[in-house]
Amino acid sequence: MPSASDTVTAPGAAPAPPGPAAGRPRLGRVLTIAAVVALAAAVLAFPGLAPNPYILSAGIVVLNYAVLSTSWNFVGGFTGYISLGHGALAGLGGYGTGLLVTKAGLPSLAALVLAMLLVALIAVPIGFAALRVRGASFVIVSIALVLIMLLVFQSWASVTGGSRGLVVPRPFPDLLRPEHHRVFYYLYAGLLALALGVWWLIDRSRFGLGLKAIREDEDKAEALGTPTFAYKLVVFVVSAAFTALSGGLYALWFGDLDPVFQFSILTGSYMVLMALLGGVRNLFGPLVGALVVGTALEFFKGSFGNTPLHLVATGVLLGLVVMFMPDGVLPALRNLFARFDRTRQSSIREVSAAELRDQRLQSTGGKA
Amino acid sequence: MASEIELVDVQAGYGRAAPVLRGFSVAVPAGSVVCLVGPNGAGKSTVLKVASGLLKPRSGKLLVRGRDVSGLGPQRMLAEGVALVLQGHSVFREMTVEENVLLGGYTIADKAKIAERVEFVKDLFPVVADRWRSLAGLLSGGQQKQVEFARSLMVDPKVVLLDEPSMGLDPKATSTIFEQVVRMRDAGAAVLLVEQNARRALETADIGCVLDLGRVHISGPASELLADPQLGELYLGGRPAEPPVAPKR
Repeated sequence: MPSASDTVTAPGAAPAPPGPAAGRPRLGRVLTIAAVVALAAAVLAFPGLAPNPYILSAGIVVLNYAVLSTSWNFVGGFTGYISLGHGALAGLGGYGTGLLVTKAGLPSLAALVLAMLLVALIAVPIGFAALRVRGASFVIVSIALVLIMLLVFQSWASVTGGSRGLVVPRPFPDLLRPEHHRVFYYLYAGLLALALGVWWLIDRSRFGLGLKAIREDEDKAEALGTPTFAYKLVVFVVSAAFTALSGGLYALWFGDLDPVFQFSILTGSYMVLMALLGGVRNLFGPLVGALVVGTALEFFKGSFGNTPLHLVATGVLLGLVVMFMPDGVLPALRNLFARFDRTRQSSIREVSAAELRDQRLQSTGGKA
Repeated sequence: MASEIELVDVQAGYGRAAPVLRGFSVAVPAGSVVCLVGPNGAGKSTVLKVASGLLKPRSGKLLVRGRDVSGLGPQRMLAEGVALVLQGHSVFREMTVEENVLLGGYTIADKAKIAERVEFVKDLFPVVADRWRSLAGLLSGGQQKQVEFARSLMVDPKVVLLDEPSMGLDPKATSTIFEQVVRMRDAGAAVLLVEQNARRALETADIGCVLDLGRVHISGPASELLADPQLGELYLGGRPAEPPVAPKR
């Protein structure tokens, strides 16, 4: 006798489609493609629409946040390891680029790439030590990284400039400020596209499958043959490389580095917040989070000055999202659209015991 | 008949505590289901931990197709063709059925081989094919268990170790699970089954083995154990319906 909890195939149901690409495209897929195209068009058109250089520079800050949170999401989204120390990697990228330009005399682009490679190299021993622990222990280790770097770069004034800061010469000295902003805006847009592309490729790869298994249950993934530690280390290094590129680009754009801001816990916290807000399991989750939080931060700073008000607003926003959209904005929107998408109906559905009894009575002509 | 896996006079336990298994021996022939039954604390799950490499035996031997593999870890045992399906639900709930099944074949490098195994498990477990793109966590308990079975068969194991597969399932889902155990055996796997639902398990198995206090209390053809009135009274929750037939002791 079937129970009410049984799930059985409903007789007469249509056969399941062989894959998502088969048949009529789903409404959700069409909407997703439309949203991505609209977002890409808006990002590319923004410099032409920005009314003044200040707004354009705010756009660069938001894009910087988008790259940073997408870079963080290589580790946080795929493996579930919450790092609050990625600010240190961005700071290392920034200082690495700045020092290679000022002290070694390298061209800006070469300094940026070399700094990225150096940070990736440094990330190997850091990851080797930090990724041996999980959960809260990993979070604490990642915070310690930021604090250690802050101390080193503040104290080592003969090289880093210490609390006086480090001035990085502009890579395009002939450009006026609006043009300078415009060039860096597109450089950041390109870097964001690259980071998203790599995340997308990993998400669809065998490597990504192993990483997601780590996120779900690391012990079980290991028992099934996934080389968990090696995978975590590789994705940490990839994440560090993108984070360093973003930090390096910031150094070349902003031109002035201060250890207090470069090695701040807040930077890493914003990356986590933005990714969680948009949805860590989604390619565009960190980008959406950065657009919301980054824009709000710039608005509050522009409207109310450097008060703690933007932090309060950020906290309230995070609280609302955790309460009403715990998986993030994008999964919540996807669920909303799924309600209206009739093409998503499965060939299999839950059938109650009463329904099953009725179907059997019908099929036997009323003979129970 | 040659044994796919064999435990010989195994002593095993946890930490410094007294051993759970005290000279335990069992052999699982190819293409057969061997069922371990017994009271709580008898050491049934410990047998599977030793057989899968999760627990190193203190003494005795673990043989796979006659070769001594005592002390190998779980990944090496997987490579030896020994797959374990854990107690309870161990699917990756937030991943699709497809991803769960593919993770079962993670150690296989050959894409053609993976595709071949996917088709094999889809044929063997229709529910896996039907719910291929569903999140595994959305499936019912019985369906999740079948996904775990399919995942374990991806590496084409010679031995499948099943730890209480019917735990938490309703009677209909339990019947389905035991039908699938038979199908796995018919597909060529040797199955070592640990089960609290002793009567149902012995009905499915070819060979029964009753454990008590870490030793084999009695073993023989499952049908004979089922028919033993004393055994029914002690371990199976009541007398058998059929006239008793004395088991081989």
